[in-house]
Amino acid sequence: MKRALAFAGRNQKEILRDPLSYLFCLAFPLVMLVVMTVVNESIPKESGMTVFRIEKLAPGIAVFGQTFLMLFACLSVSRDRAGSFLVRLYATPARSGDFILGYQIPMLVLGAAQTAVLYAASYVVSLIVKTPLKPLGLFWSFLSLQLSGILFISFGLIFGTLFSEKAAPGLCSIIISLSSFLGCIWFDAESLGGIMLKICKALPFFYCTKIGRSALALSFTKEAFWLPLLIVASCALVFDLAAVLIFRSRMRADLA
Amino acid sequence: MTERSFEMIKTTKLTKKYGTKTAVDGLGLCVYEGELFSLLGVNGAGKTTTIRMLSCLSKPTSGEAFVGGYSVKEAPQEVKKIIGISTQDTAVAERLTVRENLRFMASLHYTDKAKIEERTDEMIQVFRFQEVENQLAKTLSGGWQRKLSIAMALIGDPKVLFLDEPTLGLDVLARRELWKMIERIKEHRTIILTTHYMEEAEALSDRIAILQNGRLKALGTLQEIEEKAGVKGLENAFVAIAGKEESL
Repeated sequence: MKRALAFAGRNQKEILRDPLSYLFCLAFPLVMLVVMTVVNESIPKESGMTVFRIEKLAPGIAVFGQTFLMLFACLSVSRDRAGSFLVRLYATPARSGDFILGYQIPMLVLGAAQTAVLYAASYVVSLIVKTPLKPLGLFWSFLSLQLSGILFISFGLIFGTLFSEKAAPGLCSIIISLSSFLGCIWFDAESLGGIMLKICKALPFFYCTKIGRSALALSFTKEAFWLPLLIVASCALVFDLAAVLIFRSRMRADLA
Repeated sequence: MTERSFEMIKTTKLTKKYGTKTAVDGLGLCVYEGELFSLLGVNGAGKTTTIRMLSCLSKPTSGEAFVGGYSVKEAPQEVKKIIGISTQDTAVAERLTVRENLRFMASLHYTDKAKIEERTDEMIQVFRFQEVENQLAKTLSGGWQRKLSIAMALIGDPKVLFLDEPTLGLDVLARRELWKMIERIKEHRTIILTTHYMEEAEALSDRIAILQNGRLKALGTLQEIEEKAGVKGLENAFVAIAGKEESL
């Protein structure tokens, strides 16, 4: 475990010293939070459009921010694989589990910090627009969104392990676009219904946003929270295991 | 090198195939404790593949290799505890400082915090990193990065150190500086060096092996190699031995 923590420390420092981490993981989601709040203020109340109201926007933006964690998890692995850095570490007593944990731990910590900052900013915005968010709702939403964080980080580790330094970020960009669209961050598929809703419900991103919003509203019904939570937790578990197995298999192949 | 009592590295019919290509073909050699042993050969001769097998980064297709008495096939974790490797590419964590890079590598080898700090401080002294210890690795010159890479390989106090083309791409001054450093660290340690620079092998090696197309073509001291080739100077001897089949 100590070796995993040492590797995690190295990865955390590398990410925190990259200015792009702050730009994509914090600044961009914060800007979107402010911009969409301004947009919401311009939407006539009679239109019935609620997706940009702070209680729906904040969890959506938090999930949007997590998609960039995926990008940075992917970059960490693919960069290390592109050079000889991982190779030299393979020749130390560290084992595959140490490497996987070493990539996951800092991303989970950064993810939690990112959601905390975004929710703190959302709370301030909610006070400004005079629709204060419930602190207890923010707390439960923060906790439940850690599961979607695991899911996105797992995607990042899988792409970083399977693809090259050049290809992997491109694939992450596709997932970022898909998840923000089909995760219903920028529109309300439930009010649209039809085929669009069916597509959204067929992917895990929709449920990530759903659990964040339901927890924030303290709406813990089976339909609104527990079932989506079960789906997100199951997907997080499956993709996390997949990430572990794929990394191990790739490491074995590298050492063949 | 003072004694030849212990065979620190021993390979028997060591072979590595990639599909139909044989990168290393039945290599049999022995490296003694405390020896600086150079592997010479043109590109594709099998030097790096040999080092990769000896450092458990690649599995032999057949044959056997023992490092410090441990089989690279049967006991790779034991082998990894006694080796250090500096790869061809300078493999350092770019956004970590020199001290952080060393501390990080030390913490992969040791669990005791005091020992980690002790080894880190020791490497900073030995490699004279004091003026750059708080500098990010990516801001260092090529020579300093290469020194850092070697220091990282040494931090676990390995019995066997693999240096894969350590001076590749360095200017003549940086190369000479690195030679001095290798001379300093070679006591009480077995070093396997691969290089394209003949004068480097000549200046540093106790014994030399010449590989060609994965096969061992010559093995011995500089004098023995010169005698075998019938010419003076390592470069001439290398051309006479390795150039025979290459020119066919």
